[in-house]
Amino acid sequence: MTATSTATAPRTANRRTRRRANAAATNKPSFLGYAFLVVVILGSLFPLYWSFLIGSGDASTLRNLDVNWLPGGNLLANFASVLENEAVGFWRALGNSLIVSTVVSVSVVLFSTLAGYAFAKLKFRGSRPLLIFVIATMAVPTQLGIVPLFIAMSQWFHLGGNILAVILPALVSAFGVFWMTQYLSQALPDELIEAARVDGANMIQTFWYIALPAARPAAAMLGLFIFIGTWTNFFWPFIILDSNNPTLPVALSLLQSNFFVDYSKVLAGVLLSTIPLLILFVVAGKQLVSGIMQGAVKG
Amino acid sequence: MKISRRTTAIAIAGATAFALVATGCSSAAPGATDPNEKITLTVATFNDFGYSPELLAEYTELHPNVTVKQTKAKTSDDARANYFTKLGAGSGLADVEAVEIDWFAELLQYSDKLTDLSSDEVEGRWLDWKANAATDADGRLIAYGTDIGPQAICYRSDLFAAAGLPTDRAEVATLLTGDWDHYFDVGQDFVAKSDAAWYDSVGSIMQGKLNQEVETLESSDGEIIAGDNPVVSEAYNDILAQSPELSAHLGQWSEDWYAAFSNGAYATMLCPSWMLGIIEGEAPEVKGWDIADVYPNGGGNWGGSYLTVPAQGAHADAAKEFAAWLTAPEQQLKAFVKTGNFPSQVALQDSTELLAVTRPFFNDAPVGELMAGRAAAVPADAPFKGVKYFPVMTALQNALTRVDVEKSQDAKGSWAQFLKDIDALK
Amino acid sequence: MTQSLAHDVDVTRTIPEERAIRRIAFGHRLSHWDVKLSPYLYISPFFILFAITGLFPLVYTGVVSLYDWHIIGGQGDFVGLKNFEWVLGQEKFWVALRNSFSIFILSAVPQIIIALVIAAILDQNLKAKTFWRMGVLVPYVVAPVAVALIFSNMFGDQYGLINNLLGRIGLDPVGWHSQVIPSHLAIATMVNFRWTGYNALIFLAAMQAIPRDYYEAASIDGASRIRQFFSITIPSLRPTLIFVIITSTIGGLQIFDEPRMYDSTGQGGASAQWMTITMYIYNQGFGVAGGGQFGHAAAAAWLLFLVIVIVGLINLVATRAIASNESRSAK
Repeated sequence: MTATSTATAPRTANRRTRRRANAAATNKPSFLGYAFLVVVILGSLFPLYWSFLIGSGDASTLRNLDVNWLPGGNLLANFASVLENEAVGFWRALGNSLIVSTVVSVSVVLFSTLAGYAFAKLKFRGSRPLLIFVIATMAVPTQLGIVPLFIAMSQWFHLGGNILAVILPALVSAFGVFWMTQYLSQALPDELIEAARVDGANMIQTFWYIALPAARPAAAMLGLFIFIGTWTNFFWPFIILDSNNPTLPVALSLLQSNFFVDYSKVLAGVLLSTIPLLILFVVAGKQLVSGIMQGAVKG
Repeated sequence: MKISRRTTAIAIAGATAFALVATGCSSAAPGATDPNEKITLTVATFNDFGYSPELLAEYTELHPNVTVKQTKAKTSDDARANYFTKLGAGSGLADVEAVEIDWFAELLQYSDKLTDLSSDEVEGRWLDWKANAATDADGRLIAYGTDIGPQAICYRSDLFAAAGLPTDRAEVATLLTGDWDHYFDVGQDFVAKSDAAWYDSVGSIMQGKLNQEVETLESSDGEIIAGDNPVVSEAYNDILAQSPELSAHLGQWSEDWYAAFSNGAYATMLCPSWMLGIIEGEAPEVKGWDIADVYPNGGGNWGGSYLTVPAQGAHADAAKEFAAWLTAPEQQLKAFVKTGNFPSQVALQDSTELLAVTRPFFNDAPVGELMAGRAAAVPADAPFKGVKYFPVMTALQNALTRVDVEKSQDAKGSWAQFLKDIDALK
Repeated sequence: MTQSLAHDVDVTRTIPEERAIRRIAFGHRLSHWDVKLSPYLYISPFFILFAITGLFPLVYTGVVSLYDWHIIGGQGDFVGLKNFEWVLGQEKFWVALRNSFSIFILSAVPQIIIALVIAAILDQNLKAKTFWRMGVLVPYVVAPVAVALIFSNMFGDQYGLINNLLGRIGLDPVGWHSQVIPSHLAIATMVNFRWTGYNALIFLAAMQAIPRDYYEAASIDGASRIRQFFSITIPSLRPTLIFVIITSTIGGLQIFDEPRMYDSTGQGGASAQWMTITMYIYNQGFGVAGGGQFGHAAAAAWLLFLVIVIVGLINLVATRAIASNESRSAK
């Protein structure tokens, strides 16, 4: 096709236009483009490298104005200090974060797929206004409700310091419903549903055997997002949890107050805390990327 | 077959939910006083109370069923925020919680949420003023005193020598005997002959000055008078007039302030007894630190803490016993040797063991005798610290920081902002 | 379904016979209710849980804001709108608002521009596409708290890396913690660090949906790549731009993690240089000095919500107008 278009272009087209058309057609980036990307990637990774650098030194490394760009040898020792410190409770925090993020992701995916299926494929009275309501609630900031949430969770339900207090408010997500609605309305053909109904399946069977499998790709991506979002969530856990039962971000704040004399330990701890999600990223990064991009198009 | 798959799935979901609820609702056992029941007691402190792991292990030797865990907040501020939030939440506090004198009155308002700690064992253990401050309106003793903070002057003898000032402890004491103006004058002499500053932070000087007065930030009927009290405004203007030359422009408890213990940024510092351990911990390689038995205007006290047992804890009785042990003269003496936290217990005030304590780091200074002398020099009438003392003091410290450390406002502008800030607290 | 339809058709023709049948088959009725009720059943978990965990806090915050409410003391007297008056009369509230806006603008504008540029480059025929795309996304999986601790160290006033490097090239150290705008820049950098790659991928997806023919036609007409970018790419991205700007607004005005962890006191600086609105709400409710005022915190939270709604609407209107103007003039 490229060849034809240049061939049919007027003979007066000069070399510049042809080169441009060629470039636009093959869409190859210039050297500048690659260079810019390299700079961006380096910028993305530098803070992690910095915490690695400081975390492998000791208390004096920070105050040393001659920056040593090579790491020291203290990293494992600092890791050990952080992991052993009872006040920070790193292992406990890791376990809690794992439980909370997993439970929340499963719950959000399940309920969002259920609701998304209903909004996307089932016709019922009030579905439009209810869906608009769901979308509107996405604009409500979570910070708005922390005072009542605190009163309810700690004073009424006595869940202060309990990870349930962090799980319960996060069990459903308007964003999740929106996401699954969008996906299912495009990815699940009505014919499939009709066919299942003809075969005699009732509603729940249709959902379980037709809708869920069809929703799997989007559900997986939603799960991934919610997992990362819940894992890195700080504000509410910071208020309701304490050093007895923290999640990982809360443990990081405890790190700052417990190791204030030796910031190299703080940054070693910070590095340690990024490892779980980095592992997840290595394993599922490609899905994450495609998830964001698909969501963007459908949104 | 289809139905059984579905039932299985529902069963798994139900089991998970149940397990979740079960783990979530695992509440602590009700307060049992069974001496053989294995329990863990948590004690929450801030800065450093001198409770080393060895000391806490001693308690386990005496009570084999008890394991002790200590958590430390970085500053008294953080400890206070945590205390009040968890008190409001109804759970999450340690079995034994440390409280600083500056926010003790604030806590006293909620004394109904604290366990009554009165007992014959601790009768007469503390100085009267210390014990009375810890008694609520109903006459319940709700806290045990730990330490007090008699102040001396810590100085860098190496910097003094370089500037031609005497370095011997006794001579320094003579040099600095006098009032605050005299202290500043000697400072001006020093900075003329040295690159270093005279003192570390204006915040510390303000604490020093105000802790020698009785009515400072609040009147004895609880009104905030900090804005109108000439004691406060004069201290403020006095300090900031000379701070450009004399201050090292550091904010207390900041990372830079900690770093400055070792980098010789300043030559003297108002040193409450509990600061000794901090200096030693931060600047172990520095050889020049020493202490002089002197303090501007006679004597002063900064800080001093208590241990409380929140009623929400599961092991209130065991915790009370533990707190009594921690604040017994023997243990407090050990803390004094470890980190310099000077005891508030009556029995130790003349004890020979205490008076014999020296601190090799500070040039073998006889800290026991020195600090006992400083404690005796503290003014008889303790400063009045009411319910709003802590927030007002924080606002005042912020005002000083803005001028001296951040240099974002001048003295007048910062004072105006201070007035607005305390207005919000009324 | 199709079967019953056929059946119904028969019924209309033979009504007298059908009148004899009184009872509808139980299975039919069950399936009828199944169809009617199932949708409501399926959306109910979401709505029930949302009512408890989303709606209730929203409404109850309004209730709390009308009372004198202390964290330990509990519910006090009804004070009506006094809490709102109090908050609006607090200079610190307006300073926090100013800070939130300043940080938001300092982060949103560069972020969107850089994200567009990155997306434009990623849109091209790169080698190892997945590597580059994953590479820009790495910051997204680092917790904001972690980012804040690292950056607060790099932007340290006395010993920080940035001031160190500035000193080496002969510039004066900047008061990253002591001054207002530098602290906002540092925090904005943290926010951008986390979200630029994410937004770049969103833009990338939208760009990939633009038909290549437009570009080819433009090249033939002699348009440079830059010109094509502004005349084709940007206008086609209008809905995506609106989406990103609005989500950035909602998120940007609410940031808490980064400014809170920017120093160890969590006060936002001695003169609230970088205290955001969310930090103000937190400090009112749970804060270090003078906290525990739930009534004030609730009032401030509602005001924040109002601000977000207003700004969001302005954003929506403005972006629509500007983008549609551009596309009109481009044509």
